[in-house]
Amino acid sequence: MSSTLAAVTGTMSQVVAAIALVSGGLALAVTRRPALALGILLDLLVAAGLLRLVGDPGWRTVATVAIVIAIRHLVTYGLRLGARSWKETRKRRPDRTRQRYDDSARHLLRPAWRR
Amino acid sequence: MRRRVEELLQELVNVLVVIVEACGAAVIIVGAVWAFLLFLWVGLRDRSTRAFVPVRLTLGRFLALGLEFQLAADILKTAVAPSWEEIGQLAAIAAIRTALNYFLGKEIAEERRQIGEDGDDSSGDPTDHRRTGRTV
Repeated sequence: MSSTLAAVTGTMSQVVAAIALVSGGLALAVTRRPALALGILLDLLVAAGLLRLVGDPGWRTVATVAIVIAIRHLVTYGLRLGARSWKETRKRRPDRTRQRYDDSARHLLRPAWRR
Repeated sequence: MRRRVEELLQELVNVLVVIVEACGAAVIIVGAVWAFLLFLWVGLRDRSTRAFVPVRLTLGRFLALGLEFQLAADILKTAVAPSWEEIGQLAAIAAIRTALNYFLGKEIAEERRQIGEDGDDSSGDPTDHRRTGRTV
């Protein structure tokens, strides 16, 4: 019974891997954002990896899935970090300019000798 | 007599493990197929980056649920683990699944927080598709 389940999930993991490729490609084609497409691809590849762990997997399978998941987390973390720093840089820039304008205007309206 | 009971218990646990693992696998498969259909729908209809995020969150929830089932099966397996080899494999798989479940939960929370920060204009649960009229 266990071997039948493992065979079914093994086949399904390949189907899910194919789904991952199609979904990632679709997301890339539609949004033109590689980070989002990569996230979708990796999410579905993790699902495929989890299906491969069902039943009685050997050490080789366990190690492969562990490495794939570790790489996936590393890539996701890197993408998130990059996106966050990009966003913060874009957010901060107009604020700094505005602050500079405000300071200049305040200085012109109220020079130091009038304070 | 005692040996007979042990064998019976082992048989019972093995059957239960297969059933619970099958449930977990079914949840993951259904989640992946469901997410794929939603990705197709969103990709062909909305064509916006924002529309993909709720689908990813839905997939994450399915994966987390499937992992819970698989962890339950791992716990059941510990009732009968005859050799050190099997105990080692079981520990490795359980560690992978537990770590993945933990990180998945953190990722879902992070995505939700980011959406909350980004979209104050459309505040609320981003995975709540009823708000946008979609049936998920």
